[in-house]
Amino acid sequence: MSVLVVLILLPLVAAALMLLLDSQATPVRARWSALLATLATVGVSLAVASQYTELPTITASQRVKPITPRMELRHEWLTLAPSTPHGVPTKFEFYLGVDGISVAMILLTTILCVSAVLVSWTAVTERAAEFYAALLILEAGLLGVFCSFDLLLFYVFFEFTLIPLFFLVGIWGGPLRKYAAGKFFIYTLGGSLITLLGLVSLSLMVHQETGLATPFSIPDLAQALMSHRLSPTVQYTLFLMIAAGFMVKVPLFPFHTWLPLAHVEAPTAGSVLLAGVLLKLGSYGFLRLLLPMLPDACRNIGTPLIATLSVFGIIYGSLCALSQNDIKKLVAYSSVAHLGFCMLGLFALNVEGITGGVLQMINHGLSTGALFCLVGMFYERYHTRQLSELGGLATQLPRLGVLMVFTVFASIGLPGLNGFVGEVLALAGMFKVDMLYSALGALGVVLGAWYLLGVLQKAFFGPVQLPHAHDGHAEDVPDLNAREILTLAPLLALCLYLGLFPQRLIELIRPDVEGVVHVYKATSVHDSKVAEGETQP
Amino acid sequence: MVSWLNDNVLWLIPAAPLLACLWIVVAGQFLRREKAHQPVVLGLIISWLCALYLLFSVVPSTFEHTAEHADEHAAEVKDVHHEERHAAKGGAVTYYVYDWFSVRGGNEQPTTMTEDQARADAGGMHVRVELRADAMSALMLVMVTTVSLLVAIFASGYMHGDPGYPRFFGALSLFVFSMCMLVLASNFLLLFVFWEAVGLCSYLLIGFWFHKPSAAAAAKKAFVVNRIGDFGLILGIFMIWTTFGTLEFSQIFADPTLIAQVAIAQPEIFTTICLLLFIGAVGKSAQFPLHVWLPDAMEGPTPVSALIHAATMVTAGVYLVARCAPLFMHSPFALQIVAGIGAATALIAAITALTQNDLKRVLAYSTVSQLGYMFMSLGAAGADPEHLMQPAVTYAMFHMFTHAFFKAVLFLSAGSVMHAMGDVIDMRRFSGLRTALPITWITFLAGALALAGFPLLSGFWSKDEILAVLHMAAQSKEHGTYYTVILGVALLTALMTAFYTFRAYLLTFHGPEVFPPEAGHHPHDAPPAMAIPLYILAAAALLIGLATGPTHLYGHYLHHTPGMPSAPAHGPDWLMMMLSTILAIGGIAGAHLVYGSHRGAAGVKDNASPLQKFSFNGLYLDELYIALVVKPLRSLAEVCEMFDRMVIDQIVDGVALIPGIVGSILRPIQNGLVQHYAFVMLLGLAAGMVWMLQSLTGSP
Repeated sequence: MSVLVVLILLPLVAAALMLLLDSQATPVRARWSALLATLATVGVSLAVASQYTELPTITASQRVKPITPRMELRHEWLTLAPSTPHGVPTKFEFYLGVDGISVAMILLTTILCVSAVLVSWTAVTERAAEFYAALLILEAGLLGVFCSFDLLLFYVFFEFTLIPLFFLVGIWGGPLRKYAAGKFFIYTLGGSLITLLGLVSLSLMVHQETGLATPFSIPDLAQALMSHRLSPTVQYTLFLMIAAGFMVKVPLFPFHTWLPLAHVEAPTAGSVLLAGVLLKLGSYGFLRLLLPMLPDACRNIGTPLIATLSVFGIIYGSLCALSQNDIKKLVAYSSVAHLGFCMLGLFALNVEGITGGVLQMINHGLSTGALFCLVGMFYERYHTRQLSELGGLATQLPRLGVLMVFTVFASIGLPGLNGFVGEVLALAGMFKVDMLYSALGALGVVLGAWYLLGVLQKAFFGPVQLPHAHDGHAEDVPDLNAREILTLAPLLALCLYLGLFPQRLIELIRPDVEGVVHVYKATSVHDSKVAEGETQP
Repeated sequence: MVSWLNDNVLWLIPAAPLLACLWIVVAGQFLRREKAHQPVVLGLIISWLCALYLLFSVVPSTFEHTAEHADEHAAEVKDVHHEERHAAKGGAVTYYVYDWFSVRGGNEQPTTMTEDQARADAGGMHVRVELRADAMSALMLVMVTTVSLLVAIFASGYMHGDPGYPRFFGALSLFVFSMCMLVLASNFLLLFVFWEAVGLCSYLLIGFWFHKPSAAAAAKKAFVVNRIGDFGLILGIFMIWTTFGTLEFSQIFADPTLIAQVAIAQPEIFTTICLLLFIGAVGKSAQFPLHVWLPDAMEGPTPVSALIHAATMVTAGVYLVARCAPLFMHSPFALQIVAGIGAATALIAAITALTQNDLKRVLAYSTVSQLGYMFMSLGAAGADPEHLMQPAVTYAMFHMFTHAFFKAVLFLSAGSVMHAMGDVIDMRRFSGLRTALPITWITFLAGALALAGFPLLSGFWSKDEILAVLHMAAQSKEHGTYYTVILGVALLTALMTAFYTFRAYLLTFHGPEVFPPEAGHHPHDAPPAMAIPLYILAAAALLIGLATGPTHLYGHYLHHTPGMPSAPAHGPDWLMMMLSTILAIGGIAGAHLVYGSHRGAAGVKDNASPLQKFSFNGLYLDELYIALVVKPLRSLAEVCEMFDRMVIDQIVDGVALIPGIVGSILRPIQNGLVQHYAFVMLLGLAAGMVWMLQSLTGSP
């Protein structure tokens, strides 16, 4: 059995076992089982990564497709006979694989899941077995998205992740949890239904026009679209349809309002995975499907449209964050801004930009995941996240203070920590294309420092001001314990490592980024040839 | 030994303080807290010795290596991996550490070209961590490590007993590491990295007493205002990258003709690059209009003010412009802006310093003003870049050098006053400290005389040379009037500098003896750990200008910097020398006239007249920014937040209502009454019949 199948099935089976055999488990047993399962998944993901890195490298000349999954697992699932006698049958496949970008995302997911389990350790006591099962099912869904190279499979996993998160928010969330869960579910589902429509029409169109037998295989489809280009109008329509769901998911301004709500109401573990991985499904979708398949649309309407929305989102999200009193909501808005950098990079459509975008996906997952963990930790102690009610936390809880300062600086892109390289590459890539977008985006870096350092100033520095603790005196609240430090340690260690030595990650994703960029090189050469042909009759 | 040092001296300079910092972080838990300064002082001694060694080895190596430069370069190119490299590149020593990150542009060309050419050609972004030192960096390093070492020794006495003692020394050594790396950076992005890193250290140290709300606010203000400058700097760096295709100093500055070509081909882009870089310098070096963070930064412990906010970090902007002199040379317009901003800053800060009551704030504004002086000097080249660039850079760097010493001694003796007065620094609450604190008195006086530009002391030489270069600029045909105004501002500032420095000196050390209650009955003067650095710095403030200025030691050494434009030498400007002497002595005498016989601490009048208030509040610039920038942005943020809740989210919820509304419109149809259903059926049947009949009758 392929290691990828193990990767996806392991958390799923663990969840099923927990629900079927031990649904009345005590919180202690449930959390230990969940921890074991997530750690085992980390092990499998490391095995995937090491297998992947040991594969012989493909040079640019050997590469024939814009998307080249390795360690493939293809099974024909169902074949539709052609509708006309001379037609080609349509094959549906079960198609798993990984490329560098998915390996990076898989590692991020499995590591964040361990932190998500650890951060819920004492926070979740009600229906603990079901909580951890939902977390594991979510993990399986996320891993499935990153391993899928068949459109339908991709879409199924993409939507499947909504279900466990719906329950996580709806059952274990805050006071408005039902409204938040419903809104988040329907909004993102509504967007992605349009995406589904776009994806199916794209496949069918390519199948009809080129006779591609496997129109749902993402690599085959991308390759077919490279040699057979759809007319610009068709591309534009399809782009807007497919982008709809992803724009909601990223989320791009003005489709972001579900996010702060969902974050505020979600339990900490839900927020960590939501910000850390789920949002990346949107940008991953752009990168995996739209960028390689609809180059003209991406270049002609994608760059102006998405870049404008991103820049708007960066500034608008930062300003909204600036005026928040709830720290969790503030971090949620900062995600809108950070994902704006990521999209700005992707739609620069050059190597620097796309590399920066992918790095930003990973980095945002790490630093924002850690930020949500930290917010959860002091919320658990003081039962408030309001800036106006907190002060001097660093004096009261020095360890929490130190880790918070570190994470905040990682998040505002201090060089030497992870955020910087991604932001610089994304902005530099966009600078080559359009200086104005890049300059406006860079303004967000100033605002980012303002609102996040504002959190430090108000809640962590200054004279000690603590709300009445849940039970007992606020002064007796203990500092972070070993379990909490272990929750954060892997994330923060990775922040430092990726800040100092980003090259390994860049090398991991480089072939795949170049594959995507190659589409644009090829089409621009094609364009210039057409233009020359026209001018020289 | 010597060859080992030659190979390793470069990385030892930043590595020693870094190791000290890591030692405190890792082992700090297990050590006695009051010993935390030991690794730092040890690390700084190593750094300082290495910097001195570098100072004497980097320039001779220029002469040795210029001949074999070509061979070396060829050999380097072959050595693709360059594991550990120590080579001379046109007067610079480099040490390769590792490739930080590198993104290839994708145009992979066959490898007939050399690696560097291929890299430049293929686009992409390649950033390697490489240390590079030339004459300019060596001079900076000596200045940074000397002052850091003395400040660290001083702080071991000054910070004694503070609960955050190890944290202080950890951040201090991290700062020295970052500052050395900033100076040693071999490319623009690495420079930016440590540009931000010194900002981080500054943040951590301004907010050292973070339980004080004012310190927490000042730390944030410093970082955010600096980020505005960094915003300009990073865009400038991007523009250099798109224009030159590389970020390496050695490639950009190596070939003056290439720069000239680019400058002629794209003059607007070139000027934009220079101005964007200058925005970065304006932020870091606290120039108008971004100077407002520096006076607030005085919330940090005084040794930090001396080291970071007077001697080293704030001079990074001057260093950046001086480093990029080969670029600025081709943009007289940008240089004129530099001079204008420098003049405005010098004047505004000097006016503000006249009426401050807080001794440290007087010194802070004085720092801002002196930095403005350095930028005036750099900008003087705008009149005639060909001939003036080289003296302009030399004198700016020289003033930075002397300023580091005399401002450090001023700050540290102010710290010694605070130490004795129980952390009181308001000059209205003490006076006549001359007899109680003799060491502090004599060292402060040395620094004050040097700052005022008293003849033959350090400040005199460097300030005089800046005036001389401005005088030359004022004589140019094209921009003579502009530079005459700037020269006038410079002279006026020199007068005010002498005045406010001695106002502070007289208020603190002369008059009847008054101590605040916090000081106790017998204030004690600096203990040896504080006194020795004070004496050394005071001696430097008195003598270092005389030793390196008129002898041209500093200037001649700096000329070995590769890429520096050369210019004919010129003699001393007697007119300016005379004028500045008169101004210095006049300012001191004026201060003596007004404050010489003041009636002790209580005798200092509050600033009553509108003009005094205007000066005391720093021309109300802080208030202006709060009213014009901070408040509007805050309101805009509120508006955005409201808009998000009230409009965007309501639209979303509104859209979600549509299915419900549609349903409620259609719901009455399904009301369960059979006769209604029958009626509708009948209508449908009729309609169907009509349609069928019409189509059967064959209407086309």
